Order: sequence, then structure tokens, then C-alpha cells
Amino acid sequence: MTHMFAAIGIGPFDTAWLAEALILTTPILLAAMGELISERAGVLNVGLEGFMLAGAFFSYLMAWKAHSLFVGVVCGIAAGMLFAVVMGLLTIEAKADQIVSGVGINLAATGLTSYLFDEIFGNQAQIVVPIIGDIKIPVLSSIPDFGPALFKNDWTLYLAFLLVPITWFLLFRTKWGLAIRASGELPSGADTAGISVRRVRWFGVLTAGALAGLAGVNLAIVQVGIFHQEMTAGRGFLALVAVIFGRWKPVGVMGACLALGGADALELRLADQNQVPTQVWGVVAGIAAALAIYYVLRSRQRRPRKVAILLSSMVALSGVVLVFAAPHVDLPDQLWRSLPFLLALIVLAGAVSRAHMPSKLTLPYTRGED
Amino acid sequence: MRARLATGGLDFVLSVCVAILALLVALIFVVAAGVSFTSGADAFVSGAFGSQLNLAGTLAKMVPLTLVALGWIVVFKAGRFHVGFPGQILVGGMFVTVVALKIHLPAGLHLPLVLVAGMAGGALYAGIAAWLWAKRGVNEILSTLLLNLIAAQLLAWWVRGPLHDHTSPLPLTPAFPNSARWPELLKNTDLHWDIVLVPIAAILISFLLARTLAGFRMRLVGSGEMIAREAGVSPERIGVRAIMLSGALAGLAGASLVAAGTTPQVGEDFGGTYGFTGIAVALLARNNALAAVPAALLFAALEQGGQTMEGTVGISSSLVDFIQGLMIVLVLAATTVLYLVRRRTTKPRAPKATAPPTPRAELEPSK
Repeated sequence: MTHMFAAIGIGPFDTAWLAEALILTTPILLAAMGELISERAGVLNVGLEGFMLAGAFFSYLMAWKAHSLFVGVVCGIAAGMLFAVVMGLLTIEAKADQIVSGVGINLAATGLTSYLFDEIFGNQAQIVVPIIGDIKIPVLSSIPDFGPALFKNDWTLYLAFLLVPITWFLLFRTKWGLAIRASGELPSGADTAGISVRRVRWFGVLTAGALAGLAGVNLAIVQVGIFHQEMTAGRGFLALVAVIFGRWKPVGVMGACLALGGADALELRLADQNQVPTQVWGVVAGIAAALAIYYVLRSRQRRPRKVAILLSSMVALSGVVLVFAAPHVDLPDQLWRSLPFLLALIVLAGAVSRAHMPSKLTLPYTRGED
Repeated sequence: MRARLATGGLDFVLSVCVAILALLVALIFVVAAGVSFTSGADAFVSGAFGSQLNLAGTLAKMVPLTLVALGWIVVFKAGRFHVGFPGQILVGGMFVTVVALKIHLPAGLHLPLVLVAGMAGGALYAGIAAWLWAKRGVNEILSTLLLNLIAAQLLAWWVRGPLHDHTSPLPLTPAFPNSARWPELLKNTDLHWDIVLVPIAAILISFLLARTLAGFRMRLVGSGEMIAREAGVSPERIGVRAIMLSGALAGLAGASLVAAGTTPQVGEDFGGTYGFTGIAVALLARNNALAAVPAALLFAALEQGGQTMEGTVGISSSLVDFIQGLMIVLVLAATTVLYLVRRRTTKPRAPKATAPPTPRAELEPSK
């Protein structure tokens, strides 16, 4: 059995893939947890990508200038928060449209970081700053295979996953969490109960800024030690998608982030292969077969979805045929590179109902007008 | 009427103030980079308008900016936000490359077909987001953000795979035949005849929104879905139409970038930042289709001036992206200031309106 999985080289039993997936999940998860709190409070940060980019650039810049990773981390978080302050001023104080504000912030952050990078580092070879090292958790990290992948990582990774229970506890077990949720669901009610909706939303936006800034720190001075223009490459948008797909619940959001990070890691591995490994067809066949079975079973309770059953069984069948035929197919890298985005789009289309969305998301609150 | 004119005047003053403020910030950055104030300002002005070549470059950049801004105005009036212009520009451009390279037609027929292909590509790509929104309830902002990222990968593959020029090591398509390109308006400059699209499109969209039934329906939906439904207008249908129309405009912008570009072929970065900058243009124009033209001129001058400044005084042209983002932020902030000012000027009447009703008055209707 193990022999077979070793031969596959791709899949859940591949610890290198697992390690890579966790590393790639971290920035998305950090940003998504902050965004979750912010959206629960009623503010949607389309500018998350911009916060992240600012965090990445300023952490790199200051880690290099001050020769200190600690200063880099602090400045990265502060930069994310600074852009979040702009977001808060526009959307909470000025009650401007949240989406347009986010677009403006993204544009400004992309331009500012690219400009400063050109001005400061433009004429020299890429400077590599030292990166934040891994922390080995004793005992656990010595488990064969899985140990190093799971328990020999940097602190931002541990923090990202620790934030999931912390966020859950904050949102659902504390008074402050109730205030946050109330500000997103029924701000007038929260106001009547003596909660300052303004303050709660500021807390949400600033948390989103700080954690997205930390996500940028992770990209720049944890993963690689360099910065390049637009290095966030859509991860802020993936975090936004993860919050929706996770139905605004911490554990769900973590699941979505893991799926997106996993797809990202898979993409890296598949782009290396010069042809599509037959195992990919196997995975496709497996997923399609599972879908077909799901639809068949469900059709006992609800009206049968014949088209869905037919389509998924056809895909499953062709997948099986492809496994045995093992044709030499050379799919372009770009397909794998767009895999996380495609996946995000498909999950958005498939599974989300508006029922889970904080009902006052993106709507400004003005006392007496609600 | 006088009130409307006054409002328009105030909007105009506001936009001008925002533009001046943003330009001042840009100059501060330029001065901080060690270039003197006067030489920075001089380099910018002569870079944008100084020579025939630079002026032509500025005017040529107006075309995609105006078209994208009009696309935003159409969806905005219909109450939908989407930010898929970069992706729609790219897909429109990709459709154009197919028609330009794979179909051989005489000049008079080829170019119109190229334009139709660009519009179709943009509209269809926007149609994905529109369909996802109308049928699956997917937020069109998120779906278009993702579609932008996918389109960039699609184009990267397009110019390396199916439409790659095999004689070149670079990811470029073969050169287009002249029949598929906009003729030059000024010889040996970037200015092509596609500049005529700027006034035509602005007037058409302005007319569509203000004077036609379709435009009225869009504005009705934009002012409130409930009201529209009461009036028998389906917000979904109108929303889908508006998104697809804006996609077609973005696709046309893509066609201009491809068929009136500096080089007669397409690389993976032909879309530039026009897709997002166009939104800034629309905001500065306060979502007025005709005002989009001067606003586009300003942004085009920024782009062109920024590009030439990189060569003359060594300031990175990324500064322009920052200034454009800053303008969005400033317009939003200024709009609020304007709102507050207006509320203050109408304040004297306010106390009466908000005076609590007497209990008696409250009881009366129930009798």
C-alpha cells in the first residue's frame, strides 16, 4: 500500500506536498481570519490584497534597513494596519462605498510598493534578507514522515492555525464577539444595546489589516527573504473567497484555506511534470464518481438531478479510461497556475447561499437611518 | 434646473480639487526622490503634451480609459459593481487576435469584424460573472476578481501556445496584417483612428442612460431592486445586460489596445493597468458619461507623462499607479465632505422635521 502511494508521488500521503500545502495555506489563512472578524462586524475589505502587499514590502524593507527580523515583522503588521486605517476612515467614518474603497486601496498599495521598490532597490541586484527560522516542536516533530511536515515550521504557521480556535472563541464565546456579530447582523440593535458599532467595526478593519500585514510578512521574510512587485499574486482575493466558502465560520474558513493552499501546492508539483501523470485522471475519476454517488443517493429524498448524475458518471468513466490509456498529454503550466482561482470560482458557484452572510455586510451604519 | 446646474458645478469643482491634490502629492514624491519641483513638473507636462509624439501617446491612452470608465458607469447606474475590466480587456484582446490572424479579409471588412470580436469576447467573459451572479448568487466583485487572475493565465498560455509566433523566442503572437489594424491618424505615432470611439461611445452611453427605455430600466434597477420589481422589471435580467454591456465596452478597449497598439502583435502584458484605472476615471467623472472624456484625458496624461518621466528624470512610472489609487481614495473622501456640506446648508429646516411627534398625533391614524 505505501509502495503504491510512494509511486504516485502526489496526494495526501505525500509529506512533501503536505508540508508545501501547509506553508502555502498560512498567508491565506492569516488574512482570512482577520477578514472573517471584519466581515462579521460588517466591513468587507476588497483591499485585503493591498494590505498584504504593504505588509510584505515594508517588512522586507525594514528587515533589511534595521538588520532585524523583529523590526520587519512589526513594520509589516503596522503597514497593513496603516492601509486599514485608510479603509476605516473611508468606510466607517466617511461611509463611502466599501468595494470602491477597496479597489482604490489595492491600486494605491500596488503602486506605492512598486514605486518605492523601484526607487530604493531598483538599481541593484536583489537583496536577500535572512528569513525567520523554523521552530521544532519537541517529540512531535520526530514522528517519522508527518512529524517534520507538521511540527517543524515557523511561528507564523503555528499562529495561523492557532488563530482558528482563538477566533472561534472570540466570536462565539465572548461578549465582544457578540458585539462583533451584532454589528454585522443588526447594527441598530447593537446600537440600542449600547454597543458602539463604530468602535467594533474599527476593531474589525484593524484586525484585518494587522493579520493581512502579517500574511505579507510571511510571504516576504518567512518564505523567501525577498520582495518582488505584486508578489501577493491574488492571495488576498483567495482569502476573501475562503471567508465566503467557509460560510463565515472559523473552522469552515480554515477548511477553505487548506483546500486553496493544497491546490496551490499541487499546482507547483504538477507544473514540474512535463506531462500529466495518470494519477491526476484517477483523482478526477474518483471525485466525479463520488459526486455521481452523492447525487444518486440524494435523489431518493429530493427530485433526481439526471443531468448531474449523467455528467458526473461520464466524467468518472472517462477518467478511468484515461488512467488505463495513459495518454501523453502535455497541459500548460498556466492551467495549473490558475487552478486555485478556478477552484475558488467553482466553490463559489456551487455551495454558497446568502443565508450565512452577515446581513449588513458592506452597508454603512448611521444612527437613526437604519 | 438651476439647482442641478449648481450641483454639477460643485461636482466639477470637487473633481478638479481632487485632481490637483493628487498631482501635488505626486510632486511631493518626485521632490522626495531628489528631483527639483520645477524640473519634475516640467518633465511631466512636456512628457504628456510637449511633443507631437507625447501628445499622440496621451490621446491614444484616452481610448481604453474612456471605454472602461463608460463600462463602469453602465454597471454602476444599474446598481451592480464589478471589477472585471482587466480580464475582459484581455479576453477581448484574445478574441481579436484570433480574428486578426486566422481570418483573411479585405481591409474594410476585417477591422469591423475585429471590433465585433473584441466586444464579443469582453461581453462573454463578463457573461460568466453575470450568469454566476444571476443564477448562483455569486457576488460579482469576487467572481470578477478571480476571473481577472484566470484571464491573465489564459493570455500567458495563449501567447506561448496556440497563437505563439514560432520565429520569436518571446511570448508574442505573430504580427497582424494591416487590414486588421486601426489606420494611423498621425504618421509614426501611437495615435490611431480609434480615437473617434471616445466621443462616439461617450455620447452613445450618455444617450442610452438618459434617453432610452433600456437606460431608464437600468437606472430604475439601480435606484432600488424592490421598486424595479414592483414596476415589472427584472433586476436580474437588467443586471446581466448591464454587466455584459460593460464587458463589451471593456472588450472594445482590449480591441483598441491590440489593433491600435504600438506594436502590431500581442504580448502577455498588453492590458496594462487600464482595467482598474478606468474605474478611477469614472469616479473622478462622478459617474457622468460625458465627463468621463476629460477625466480620461487627465489620467491618460498621467500615464504618458509618468512613462516619459521615467526616461527623462528617472522616476519610476509605478508612481502613477499610486496616484491613481490615491485619486479614488480622495474622490470618496471628498464626496463625503460634499455630502456633509450640503447637509449643513440645509440644516435650518432640519429641527422641525426631526421633532418628535406628539403622542396624540401618533395615535390619530389608528382611529
